Order: sequence, then C-alpha cells, then structure tokens
Amino acid sequence: MRRLQGLPALDEIVSLAVRIITSRTFLEILVFPGFLNITLSAAFLTWLERKVIARVQLRIGPLYAGMWGILQPIADGVKLMFKEMIFPELADARLLMLCALSLMLIAAAPVVAIPFGDGLVIANMEIGLIYVFAAVSLFPTVILLIGWGSNSKYPFIGGLRSLFQQVSYEIPMWFSALGIVMLTGSLNLTEIVKAQQNIWFLVPQVLGFAVFFTTVLAELERIPFDLPEAETELVMGWMTELSGVAFMIGFLAMYIKLYLMSALITVLFLGGWLGPPLLPDPVWFLVKTFLVSSVIVIIRGSFPRVRIDLLLKAGWTRLLLLALANIFVTVILIVLGLDWMWRV
Amino acid sequence: MALDSWTLFVVFELLIFLGIFPLLVFGWLMGAKGRDPIRDAPFESGQTHLGEARQRYMMQYYPYLIMFVVFDVVAMFLFTWGLAFTALPFAQGFLLLVFLVILVAPLGYALYLSSKTEIW
Repeated sequence: MRRLQGLPALDEIVSLAVRIITSRTFLEILVFPGFLNITLSAAFLTWLERKVIARVQLRIGPLYAGMWGILQPIADGVKLMFKEMIFPELADARLLMLCALSLMLIAAAPVVAIPFGDGLVIANMEIGLIYVFAAVSLFPTVILLIGWGSNSKYPFIGGLRSLFQQVSYEIPMWFSALGIVMLTGSLNLTEIVKAQQNIWFLVPQVLGFAVFFTTVLAELERIPFDLPEAETELVMGWMTELSGVAFMIGFLAMYIKLYLMSALITVLFLGGWLGPPLLPDPVWFLVKTFLVSSVIVIIRGSFPRVRIDLLLKAGWTRLLLLALANIFVTVILIVLGLDWMWRV
Repeated sequence: MALDSWTLFVVFELLIFLGIFPLLVFGWLMGAKGRDPIRDAPFESGQTHLGEARQRYMMQYYPYLIMFVVFDVVAMFLFTWGLAFTALPFAQGFLLLVFLVILVAPLGYALYLSSKTEIW
C-alpha cells in the first residue's frame, strides 16, 4: 500500500515511542512534575482547603478518613465515581463531558513549562511564560461552552460572568508580568528563576506582584472574586449541571489550576526552587507553592464577595493603571542601571 | 537525544487523556440510568423551569470585551518590546512608553462610555 505523504512510517512511530518511554523525561511526565504530582497535589489541596476553612470558622473539618482526614479526597472521588451522571433533558450531555475532559487537559497543560527544580522541567521552552498564559486564556471558552451546553439558566449566567471576568483580568495579568520579562530579557521560566539568585523579583516588582496576585485570584474565580460561582445567587455557577464523574473532573481541574497558578507565582516572584541548601530544590518549590495556595485559601475564608460591575471596573481602571505604573518603575530601574542584579 | 517540546507536550496531554477518559467511561457504565421528568429538569432551586436557557441576556458588560480585543494586541506587542528593551537604542525603547501614555486617554473615554448602561 502506498504511504500517505507526510505521515511517518509505523516503525518510526514505534521507535519514537520506545525512545520516549525509556527516557528519563517520561518518568518526569508520569511522576514528579507531571501526572501524579498534579493530581495528588490537587487532591491534597481540596483537603487543605477544607481543613483551613474549618479552622478559620472554628470547626474541625474532615476527621475520620485516615489521619486528620487526609484520605477524605480519595473517599470523595470514589463516591463521585459511583454516582449517576445526571444531565438535564435540554442539555447536550456529550458536549458537557467533552468540555469537562478538555477543562482537565487545559488545566494540566502549564505544568509542561514550569520548572520544579534545576533542570526538573518536562519541556524547557524558550517561550514558557507565553505558553502558560496561552493555556490559561483557553479557560473562558470552555467554561462558556459548559454554560451553553447545560442549557440551564444558572450555568449560562455563570459562564457569561466567568467569560467577562477572566477576559478582563487577563490584560492586567500580562502587563504585570512584563516587568520581569524586561529585567531578565527572557521568557524562559528556568532563566527567570535563575535570575533571582541575588534578590527575588518580589522586591523590585512589588507593584507587579500585588497586581498579579489579585488577577490570579480573579482568574481562579475564588473569593473575593468568585462571582461565577456565587453560591447565594447562582448555586454552583457554570458547574451546576455537572454531576458524577464529570463534576469530579471539573472540580479537580479547578484545583489543578489553583496549584499551577500558585506555582507560577512562586516561579515569577518568589524565587522558584531557590533557597538555603537545607532542603532539596523541589522541596523548597513545593513549600513555597503550598504556602501561596494556603494564603489564597485563607483569603477565601476571610473576605466578602464584591459586586460584578465594581469588579470589572476595578480591573480596567485601577489594576491596569497599576500594571502600567509597574512598567514605568521597571524602566526607571533599568535606566538607573540597577538591573545588573537580575541579568542571567 | 533530546525530545522537542512539542512531542513532550503531546505525550503529556495524551497521558492525561488516558488517565481521565476511563473515569468518564467508568462513571457512565456504573451510574444508574433511566429517564425521569422531575430529575432531568434543569436545576432552578425547586422552581419549574420555563423554556430554554439560550435566550437573550442584557450585555451591559459587552464594552469590556471590545476593549479586550484592543488591549490583547497591545499586550502581545508589549511583550516583544519588553524582551528587547535593553538591546534597543534609548529613543526607540521610549517611543512605546509615549504610546502607552497616549493610550490612557482613549481608555478613559471607553470606560466612561461603558459605564453608561443605557446605550448598551
């Protein structure tokens, strides 16, 4: 049979597959920065969130499954797997399942470029930062599709709100990360971490950090910006009509997003894996990442929700102008010649 | 030999797919099935739903979407500019800052118009 033009032969595919599976990178993809790491960390974060929120509200939280209830996420997962997937009669069930699946794929995508240690990165991309932002900017589309596919009023309004909020807050997010790109002259996340050997970017970019952290809260749809999921108005927002395994996947995807955005904050502003040589590099990275996640969780426990028009207006006026001011501060730093500390 | 980023990305996403898709199939096979008009109704906090949800909504926040289209492009140009900032001659680097300052005036006018909900 004549081979199709441009398609590789079978033996080439087999040899590529063998080469991938036997390489050290495959272990990285499967275990540490990759698959097992993100799923287990997301499960751990659901437990951490319930425990921390319980402490904030003077409760005890999950207690019975395992020590301190640490096996609670697994119990929840098993429970949800055996539940019926109920989709409303007017909904497009196949579209909903497909969207839940692609939400997972998009949420997990940034981990490919994020360095968890020196050289401990799946693909050391030159455009790592742009790649992560591109993956994050795919969320609103899928969330709006879930709202549309549910064909129910709460999910649709939640999806629309989510679209406006995430799209509006992406701009200040990009602008606030620009100062780091100007100081390092690189978009490679590994080089951005290495540039922070003397001083973390938290110090010269403190304005950028404030804007970036706020926009990450909005991108994650967490309190005080959880309008798409405002429980008192919209039940569960765009997730209302997901149930059973589809809900589990969507929920897990949101926690993977929380984990990876915390990791991105760690890489950009908190020096990534750098730290005193008491602990191995990845341990420092995980400690910082979970600290950032805990701060986000404590914020959820302590702040009220803002109104959506105020939220959008604040994003376009205050945050955008603060991010622009951050760019000017960075330019002044470079003109004064203080940027040698962060050159690789 | 090092594998390129694109191959690694595809392998990673394939692995996620292979890990998650069986769960969906499992849930579909294990869960109960059958139709029930009350259970299959869209959830509206106990009220009977009227018609489809795909209808017209007031788009009072639509101007923000239009502004996103403008600033999206600006952001991408800014990234290339920021990447090359120190390599550029002084005057060329500062030209874009002037442009950013000019951009604030139309941004303010757009925000003023977007706050007038009666025209949207």
